[in-house]
Amino acid sequence: MKNSQDKYIRCPYCESVNIDNGKTIYCRTCKNRISGNKEINLRNSWAMLITAMVFYVIANIYPILVISKFGVTSSNTIIGGAIALWEEGSYPISIIIFIASVFVPLLKFILILYILLNYKKPQKGSKRVDQAKLYHITEIIGPWSMVDVFVVAILAGVVHMSSVKITAGIGATAFVLMVFFTMLSAMSIDIRLMREDNNGDKRAKNRE
Amino acid sequence: MSENLDDLIICSHCGTLHKKVELAEKKVAKCSVCGKKLYSNVEDTFKKAIAYSITSLILFSIACIFPIIKVYIAGQESDLTIPSMIVTLFNEGFYVVGSIVFVVIVIAPLSVICSYLVLGILTYFKIFRTFSKHIISFLITSRHWAMVDIFAISIMVALVKLFGYAQIGFGVSSIALILFVIVDTFVLKSILPVELWTYFNRAYDEK
Repeated sequence: MKNSQDKYIRCPYCESVNIDNGKTIYCRTCKNRISGNKEINLRNSWAMLITAMVFYVIANIYPILVISKFGVTSSNTIIGGAIALWEEGSYPISIIIFIASVFVPLLKFILILYILLNYKKPQKGSKRVDQAKLYHITEIIGPWSMVDVFVVAILAGVVHMSSVKITAGIGATAFVLMVFFTMLSAMSIDIRLMREDNNGDKRAKNRE
Repeated sequence: MSENLDDLIICSHCGTLHKKVELAEKKVAKCSVCGKKLYSNVEDTFKKAIAYSITSLILFSIACIFPIIKVYIAGQESDLTIPSMIVTLFNEGFYVVGSIVFVVIVIAPLSVICSYLVLGILTYFKIFRTFSKHIISFLITSRHWAMVDIFAISIMVALVKLFGYAQIGFGVSSIALILFVIVDTFVLKSILPVELWTYFNRAYDEK
């Protein structure tokens, strides 16, 4: 199939192929909005991303977990918790916590930043594929940062004895909001941001 | 544009444009560039999903009602159920954490299951076409927010954290929860949106 002028765009809801006319598009199959005003979308993504980053800082400063043992209160931050686990010798769990709560959010920030910063630059076909892949990766790894929040919720839910009591800390609220806003930021990225200056003919292929 | 847009599909992974071909039974179409699944024979997958959604509704109800783990610390016993966990968060004043946890591990998975069930009924009787369109969109959105699989992993992590201090027992729900995660990952979440829409179109257009 030879095609030069028309740009195709994939509807993220139903995956049907639509023609990209550069304006606000509503999907022809499911009638959802595929893409609206690019500038507004871009600003939304930035706003969500910055909010998420602020919450990330707060989540790392304040304790995520408060343990009171026989009246003595101690609190754990995210990194503190991971280090404590490492010192106790549970290396795999420590690594899981570290990756899920520290590394994954940072990676997501960097990926979204990269997409948002790069969208105006002209891209060759192969590079565009890379960006779509990056976006796909952020979508997959995003929810996994919820692990730490769930662990806190489970511990707080189960350990409330007279001698030992675990409660959530302010850090947990900040962290859960951080995850929420990063997901929103990734979702509000306009897919057209990743396909600037691409006339589509290189990608058009037949498959038998 | 003379080309029929319905015959085209764009890979969600790498954005390559493909032309759809008719598939034989139990065949899967894969992207020619990155090898990711594009679509498969829909009739089969969709009916499987409806059947499994009933199974997962039962499993999920069990997982919500009965305790998942039991913890003994210094002679005291305490159970963990999903509702009790959320209630504790609310009682301690963590409304934001509580509500988000509630949405991602109860509301969103239930929405997915119920959407499949409703969709199955509506397409069977071929009624309320516009309504089922909304249901499909809703299903695809709620799948993004369903995080029971991550919750299951978190239970493991929490157990390791508790290991030094407490004796741990598994409740009835732990098995139900694990089975639910398996069904959810391999059946309910594995159906691609495009397959849902193809099924939808076929179900309503066939007389």
